[in-house]
Amino acid sequence: MTERSLSPPRGSGQGDAVPPQAPAPVDLRVRRRFADRDRLLAWVFLLPSIGYIVALVAIPFFLAIAFSFSDVTAGDPSFDWAGLRNYQNVFDDPVFWRSLRNTIVFTVVSMALIVVLGKVLANILIADFRGKWLVRFLVLLPWTTPVALSTIAWLWLLDSVFSPIDWVLRELGVIEANMYWLGKPDLAIGSVIVVHVWRLVPLAAVIMMAGLVAIPKDVQEAASVDGAGFWRRMFEITIPLTMPIIAVAALFGAILTFTDMAVVYVLTRGGPTNSTQVLASWAFFRGIEGGDVGQGAAIALFLFPLLLAAAIAILRAVRRMDVS
Amino acid sequence: MDEQTRISRRSLLWLTAVATTAAACGDAGDDAGPPEATVPAPSPTMSTPASKLSGDLRILLWSHFVPSHDKWFDQFAKNWGKEVGVNVTVDHINNTEIVARTAAEIQARQGHDLIQYIAPLSQFEPSVVDLKDVAEEAANRFGEQLELCVKSSQNPATGKHYAYSPGWVPDPGDYRKSLWESVGLPDGPTSWEDLLRGGAEIKKSKNIQMGLGMSQEIDSNMAGRALMWSYGASIQNEDEEVVINSPETVAAVEFMQRLFKDTMTNEVFSWNPASNNQGLIAGQMSYILNSISAWRTAQEANPEVADDIYFTPALKGPKTSLAAQHVMYNWIVPNHARNVDAAKEFLLHYTANWPSATYHSKLYDLPAFPRLVPQLNGWLDRDPFGAKPENKLGVLKNAIEWSTNIGHPGPANTAVGEVFATFVIPNMFAKAARGELSPEQAVADAERQIRPIFDKWRRRGLVGGV
Repeated sequence: MTERSLSPPRGSGQGDAVPPQAPAPVDLRVRRRFADRDRLLAWVFLLPSIGYIVALVAIPFFLAIAFSFSDVTAGDPSFDWAGLRNYQNVFDDPVFWRSLRNTIVFTVVSMALIVVLGKVLANILIADFRGKWLVRFLVLLPWTTPVALSTIAWLWLLDSVFSPIDWVLRELGVIEANMYWLGKPDLAIGSVIVVHVWRLVPLAAVIMMAGLVAIPKDVQEAASVDGAGFWRRMFEITIPLTMPIIAVAALFGAILTFTDMAVVYVLTRGGPTNSTQVLASWAFFRGIEGGDVGQGAAIALFLFPLLLAAAIAILRAVRRMDVS
Repeated sequence: MDEQTRISRRSLLWLTAVATTAAACGDAGDDAGPPEATVPAPSPTMSTPASKLSGDLRILLWSHFVPSHDKWFDQFAKNWGKEVGVNVTVDHINNTEIVARTAAEIQARQGHDLIQYIAPLSQFEPSVVDLKDVAEEAANRFGEQLELCVKSSQNPATGKHYAYSPGWVPDPGDYRKSLWESVGLPDGPTSWEDLLRGGAEIKKSKNIQMGLGMSQEIDSNMAGRALMWSYGASIQNEDEEVVINSPETVAAVEFMQRLFKDTMTNEVFSWNPASNNQGLIAGQMSYILNSISAWRTAQEANPEVADDIYFTPALKGPKTSLAAQHVMYNWIVPNHARNVDAAKEFLLHYTANWPSATYHSKLYDLPAFPRLVPQLNGWLDRDPFGAKPENKLGVLKNAIEWSTNIGHPGPANTAVGEVFATFVIPNMFAKAARGELSPEQAVADAERQIRPIFDKWRRRGLVGGV
């Protein structure tokens, strides 16, 4: 905004005899002043986000910390100091360690698959072909569908008796009897990972597409002219140039897998024999269904340091790449 | 009909879709329009409040597995409100959401005046109104309350009636007669040994399995407890002391190992509450433990199978024959309730009209005060809603003799509730059945999880014993 624009409108050049039209310029000036105050505007625009984060993230987070040191239960909200007793109980619980391990395994495996498959999908989606927009729309559907709803669809696909996947495999002669995808621990763990990957790959692909289209075409063309093949261009140009974007996709994938309880809750409720239990679901079962809010909060809080460490590690890596 | 009902793949998919929609995350529901009722609905009675009432009354309850019940209840509650000058609001939500919703309202110290759930809500005891006066007044008016309902609503350690239980639902065995006839048991299994022998033969000859879940869901919890009690085992004794690690529990777990090996598949480890219903309705199960709602759904979705489904009482074990209640109605009045008087008066009025509750739930809801529904045995002998044969539900006439509360032989206390909510018992059976642990190890593992839960709630004074 220039100095001129902040000034009130001048007369029409017909001399001072013309009375100034006072009210309108004053309003305009006030409006312009407000519109031009960048710092104020920045706060105004940020305020809804800050309010949202404080109300729905910060307050519950600090409340969870307080609860984890208290004896608050579902039926007794009164706060009494319990020290480290909830943490002691959590550490003595083998299901907690199982949940912690599962949370990390699900996240790491899902993240790796999400990055690889997201990259492949992004490469396909930026190619020119007939019906590209329809394909893009269809590919995005898993991400746009509410997670609970899509997981119920998977519950049907993986049903122990009526699974269409089993039916197809039987018809193809691959299997003789049903697989019981959710009835065997290894298959149940695999199923949970597959659902996470299925729902998050489209998001990763869209993020990576943004990175891919930003690579200058002349770089690729120059490499082609110099005789670089597809794989060489992929590993020596495309991936290095989009690495920060890939890291962001990985971070999103990790956070959304790490904190999710809907997939496990709908698909297996943590079974069989707690083999798919994750921190979020176990915190819910212990804290809400079981009534021990203090212990549930202590379990849920273990999500925080792990998430924080992962986020810092990835963002630092991204920064280093930017600098280099 | 054929021993194994043959249906096309398209029919199978249609049936299971109907069953699942009806089951709606908890049980097989039933909105069976046809067949029409053969007897008229009971006439409502009006209980005059002891004092003048006014204001609002907000009620939260589950969406009943039998939707016709909710249609009746909503109008019934509103009519009462009009009569006594109270503005009544009724909210229904899925039963799986009620505990979380109740916890949220209690933490926020605002919400509904009356909340109903289908299992004991003992964990909310510190934040609810003592309903002793309601229970006593109900006993004065309607006679003695069933013991399993008392044990599911009163805490003997504190003497507080944290809830009020005007009704319950039994959990009989549902079996396919044509299948069990073929193994010489036309009246179904009467003992756990029958179940093993007959179930194994059916699986071997017809490739149809049995449906006792060992998964992290409510029906598996009930099945495991029924087997334990029948073997003389239990989680706690009458004094609320943990006694699970006993030879009787080990014997029950050993039996489940054999039962799984001979009659079931890995399917039972993956079940949700609707799974056994779906399997039965689709003709894929020889026997399940469930309420009558699975069969009511089959009456509309698959009448041929429905007519082949019959019921057995709790199976005999070495010590006794007992089954857990399938549903235990618990009504609570949170401390934050603004209209406690209206809530209490409504509960008494609702109880007085239990014949209507039973009728409109298609005999799903049974009374905690048996004197209230004198026509019940007649209905069970001649089902007004199209049972073939019409006396199919006769086995439920003495259901109270083989049913008990989930904390048996003690009360359904807060510790029992947490053990239930964290699926310790189904997992104990599953670990042994899968061969992950020996029966002795599985029982010891369960005890390791259960003792801290009891100790924790005992320290808070909510559980008795030492």
